[in-house]
Amino acid sequence: MANANIAALGSTRKMLGFSRRTVEFEQATVADLLRDLKTMDGQTLYDHLVCDGKLRGDFAILVDGLSLGADQLDKPLQGGEEVVTMAILRHLHGG
Amino acid sequence: MCLHGCGIRVQVVDGVALKIEGDPTNPDNLGKLCPKGNAGLSRLYDSTRVLHPLKRTNPKKGPGVDPQWKEITWEEAYSTVARELGRIRAEDPRKLLCSLGDFQRILLWGWPAAFGSPNFFTSLGNYCGGSYHPVNGSIDGSFAAVNDYEYCNYWIQIGSGDGFSAHLHLSGSAKRMADARMRGMKVISLDPRCSIASAKADEWIPIVPGTDRAFVLGMAHVLVHELKRFDREFLRDRTNAPYLVTEDGNLYKDAGGKAQVWDTRAKAPRSWDAVPAADMSLEGTFTHHGRNLRTGFQVWKDMLSSHTPEQMSEVTTIPAETIRRIAREFVDAAQIGATIEIEGKTYPFRPAALNYYRGSQSHSNGLFDNLTYKLFNMLVGNIDVPGGHLGVPLDHRGFFVSPGEDGMLKPEPHQLHPAPPFKYPPDSTHLMEWFPIGFDAGQLNTETLLNPRKYGLNYEPEAMLIYHANPLWNMPETDKVEKIMAKMKFVVTIDIQHTDSTEWADIFLPAHTYLESYLLNCLEPPAVTGHALRQPVVEPVGDTRDAFDILTELSERLGFLDDWNDLLNMVCGFVAKPKYLLDPEKRYTPEEFWDIYARSVYGEDKNLEWFKEHGHAVRYRTAEETYMPYGSLRIPFYLDFFKRTGDEMRKKFDEVGLKDWPVDNYQALPFWKNSQVIEDGKDGYEYYAITFKESLHTFADTMVMPWLSEVSDKDPVHGGVLINPVTAKKLGLRSGDRLRLTSPAGSIEGNAQVVEGIHPQVVGVSNTLTRYVSTNYRSKDRGTHFNRLLTGAMKYTDSATGGLESTARVKIERIVV
Repeated sequence: MANANIAALGSTRKMLGFSRRTVEFEQATVADLLRDLKTMDGQTLYDHLVCDGKLRGDFAILVDGLSLGADQLDKPLQGGEEVVTMAILRHLHGG
Repeated sequence: MCLHGCGIRVQVVDGVALKIEGDPTNPDNLGKLCPKGNAGLSRLYDSTRVLHPLKRTNPKKGPGVDPQWKEITWEEAYSTVARELGRIRAEDPRKLLCSLGDFQRILLWGWPAAFGSPNFFTSLGNYCGGSYHPVNGSIDGSFAAVNDYEYCNYWIQIGSGDGFSAHLHLSGSAKRMADARMRGMKVISLDPRCSIASAKADEWIPIVPGTDRAFVLGMAHVLVHELKRFDREFLRDRTNAPYLVTEDGNLYKDAGGKAQVWDTRAKAPRSWDAVPAADMSLEGTFTHHGRNLRTGFQVWKDMLSSHTPEQMSEVTTIPAETIRRIAREFVDAAQIGATIEIEGKTYPFRPAALNYYRGSQSHSNGLFDNLTYKLFNMLVGNIDVPGGHLGVPLDHRGFFVSPGEDGMLKPEPHQLHPAPPFKYPPDSTHLMEWFPIGFDAGQLNTETLLNPRKYGLNYEPEAMLIYHANPLWNMPETDKVEKIMAKMKFVVTIDIQHTDSTEWADIFLPAHTYLESYLLNCLEPPAVTGHALRQPVVEPVGDTRDAFDILTELSERLGFLDDWNDLLNMVCGFVAKPKYLLDPEKRYTPEEFWDIYARSVYGEDKNLEWFKEHGHAVRYRTAEETYMPYGSLRIPFYLDFFKRTGDEMRKKFDEVGLKDWPVDNYQALPFWKNSQVIEDGKDGYEYYAITFKESLHTFADTMVMPWLSEVSDKDPVHGGVLINPVTAKKLGLRSGDRLRLTSPAGSIEGNAQVVEGIHPQVVGVSNTLTRYVSTNYRSKDRGTHFNRLLTGAMKYTDSATGGLESTARVKIERIVV
């Protein structure tokens, strides 16, 4: 079994009901991992973050510090990864 | 204190700060300080500084109305704010308007997003960067730009104070500029006013405001059509200038979606990556399968044919021969084809560059202005090469570099936040959802908040948080801003001293100055990279608190400490280094927070204690970080990205019935067209009015600082309305005469100051002394308030970037007292 450390930020934290967790898996892609993460409303994080097989534009997933492209959810996980999920906020202003 | 954060050392005796000096070990400011830096003590110990939380006791609000402040405890202040903002947040968090300043603590600007409000109620930043930053980001992934002080030999300065009085890190830049002049660099300055840069330049060329682009388009015409001297290899090999464009302005692509170039050997279009660069046609008109095609370069070349020096002379009032002469000098100095070896690597060497900033591009066609200056620099191949025009990254993370389409650098117009998706009705009162490549057009609040239904807003703000900002002074159309302020049921302000805007507050939360608080600062350094620590040098004066701590306390009391910490995780890049992620449930002190930040950037060895001892980790950027940091990726010459975005926005606006909403500035290439300001001249507004600042008062609310105030008082340039002797004679005016300036938006009064150093069609109003109302006695009744002449209406706003127009057309009347 391998594991990955999940850090859920912002609205994804509220969906999941936790902010940090280590999850175990045998063979998995990022998409598989999202399907395994149950949300408080009985669905999965995949249901909330993915549309037509692609990561929605208002969410971001980082694996070991690198942001995944919308169509990179089939990235395999080797074990030991740090996975961050979050909603994108328009957080700064001005110039 | 201001955006730039020069390295300083403070002499403290018996707990009292006595003197501020530049830190000679910090390569950013090289031990130098500008007047602001020297005057920092006069803020720390200012007798008018607010030292305790205040509560308004006078329910009546208005300009000049005494709030009748009463000192209260922090507990009472916090509980009042939490109660009022808590009610708003429970109803609809968008009902909170936020006006945020303090560029050094830019991360605190994220607080409203954690609260749940998208609203940005200020024009701060948009007077200078509204169009500037999106174009920089779209061209080379930079945030700002400046010429190469070290290698440039011929510097054209247009509407900018770089190296002389303002913009990027003045203290160090002034030294670098002086060194460059000593080795013989020539400076040509275009400005309606004989600014500090103009006065010190080799040549000052007065120009009509807002027509700088015409001057540069005229020079581009000379290079392309008359001298036929431009860097063909750079344009062909390093940009998308050879990519083919169809009649409708889109890139010509094959079935697989690849951009096409004209293969001179095959005499046919082929994919950009299937043709050796040497075989790409840079110029030309072609036909393929019945489609008329031109290269991107050819499209601009054809546009430029109508921008002759004679035609541009009529717009700018600059003689055609001057336009030709400067163009010739520029291309001679550029040394097209030359190379230079730096740190073991060979680079193109182009020691001539055009530098620009607020005065030349903060106009309603600002996107065109910025594009023109970039493309003109590209004509000699000087973008991001030694001697040329260099992108400057937002912070230590460097340029935004990632591959885009067709071998191009991916455009990054929004570097402070991701581009907001289109939405109707909009969420934000400044309509940020309608400007996907722009910044935040705060001035639009003056339209939307007084006519919310017209813009589809389905709520009305009821409260305001002002953090170290002054929207009443900063925004255009002050009368409208007052009406908006009057509609607010609750206003809380976090500041150091009273301003025009704090007078409208219900609660005043007094903050630390930069000499009493922590921060790791790193913003837009032109030659260096790295952070410098600001740390308390004395015990806090009065019962004041750190602004970070104030906003964190409010987050906790309002029940969103978790969202605030998560937002900081995103803003500070902790998400990319998860071991440093803040615990959403934990309350961090400023020291704890900055310690985590330091370690996340520099590793465990350089924690806050290290910075306390060493002061900074600032170093010169390497050649690899400075020159072409995007490697072999091409940069855009033909901005099809802008054009496509405009097409998409047109469809979206049409779909929701906003058929009249303008999208005309989403263009792939710039050209000359009259702005609304020029058109206003037809309605009898004969003269142009401009405003200006000097190093005393840029990037900070320093107007009330006694030392700076005194210096300003003694400089006659700041005391009146600058007017040319020819114009003064025509109008029967003498220095000291009272006059009124009236624009389509409003009118102001001032005293004539007759000076040679201003264009005859222009009057200049210093923005230094223009606080028009305040309980701070030093800033009361100190002159004219220029921003009353401006308007936030869309026809004075760049339809693509949201950049606002910073020039007004005016009528001038003498007032007989």
